[in-house]
Amino acid sequence: METYLIQLATAFIGSFGFAMLFNLRNRSLFAGALGGFFTWLIYLIVRSCGDAGIFLSSVIASGVGALYAELLARIFKCPATLFYIPAVVPLISGSSLYYTMSAAVDADWEGVRNYGLETLYFTLGIACGIFLVSGVLHIVRENRHKKST
Amino acid sequence: MEAVNYQRLGELLLDMGESMLSCGAEIQRIEDTIFRMSMAYGAVKANVFVITSSIVLTLNFEDGAQITNSRRVLSSSSTDFEKLESFNALSRRCAEVPLALDDLAQELTTINRKRIPSYKMYIGSALAAGGFAVFFGGNLWDGLAAALFGLLICFLQIKAAPVCPNTVFFNFISSFICGVLICLVGKFVPVLHADKVIIGDIMLLIPGIAITNATRDMLLGDTISGVMKMMQCLLWAGALACGFMLAISLIGG
Repeated sequence: METYLIQLATAFIGSFGFAMLFNLRNRSLFAGALGGFFTWLIYLIVRSCGDAGIFLSSVIASGVGALYAELLARIFKCPATLFYIPAVVPLISGSSLYYTMSAAVDADWEGVRNYGLETLYFTLGIACGIFLVSGVLHIVRENRHKKST
Repeated sequence: MEAVNYQRLGELLLDMGESMLSCGAEIQRIEDTIFRMSMAYGAVKANVFVITSSIVLTLNFEDGAQITNSRRVLSSSSTDFEKLESFNALSRRCAEVPLALDDLAQELTTINRKRIPSYKMYIGSALAAGGFAVFFGGNLWDGLAAALFGLLICFLQIKAAPVCPNTVFFNFISSFICGVLICLVGKFVPVLHADKVIIGDIMLLIPGIAITNATRDMLLGDTISGVMKMMQCLLWAGALACGFMLAISLIGG
């Protein structure tokens, strides 16, 4: 439990750092960083329910992050990417990338395979989540546009 | 609206596209923006083609005039959300009431002149590196050390990256320097876990966001740009890995 709380707090700090690094406007910094917190919260919840793997958990977490970003984009009237990137930063797996490299140095190919796959699952999961959300929103927007004309 | 100088319009739209590329906008957004603005300025047909390294634009006007402009885009991108937001707002404004071309040029220069304040980059890097070192299982000291090295990486990115136009090489050198320093510090300060500190700092250098964007570009149909970016990212990540690995094998992690 304590580990989870520490992870949630540091996910927030890390997202805040990235939002600053990418020059998100000060007025939306806090809301943007909160996205990282929510995304990781969802990831942890999905991960602990039943036997959801890394891929499924990160798809759902990234999808929720994308929805959150779309919501903020409406509120602050700016592109959703601005909020989406800080939101998914905790899902980017620096740690498994590092262990893939270090296993490669030690010629531990079993480790390379395991950690490499973990990195791949996270990356694909992030992309799938955003893709699903933006795809659905695109369809909704197009159809609404058609109806109004 | 007074008659528009077509050639100038084409140039300005390319300027806008180039600036958007270099602050990290998605391909689809840029094509969309240029298309809308062309329509707002009276084009009857607009063909826009944007990839990571170039832009081609052909506009047809009501009086039968046709212009084609192209631009090679070299500047490597550094994500800047504030600029991105400003360009977005500018294009929305122009789509409603087109600005005079002189004013548009003026606005573009004003937005482009802005730089990310360096205090924001330093604090951001320190928070991100420190935060993620603890996030991935480091203790408080690891977080502090990662934050300090984050400052160093930020310093290199601000001072050394402009001198070193080859990003692959830059990533290799900066990860090597950081790797050596972190391993040395880890040897002499036993409370530190060198691996956690390195992981925190990798988050700053890793093109994870760019990889995500590249995958998204591919899925949304901009296959060429996606593949180009993906290859770039893999090269960067490879350089990063080589730099850190070389440091670790030299010093011992």
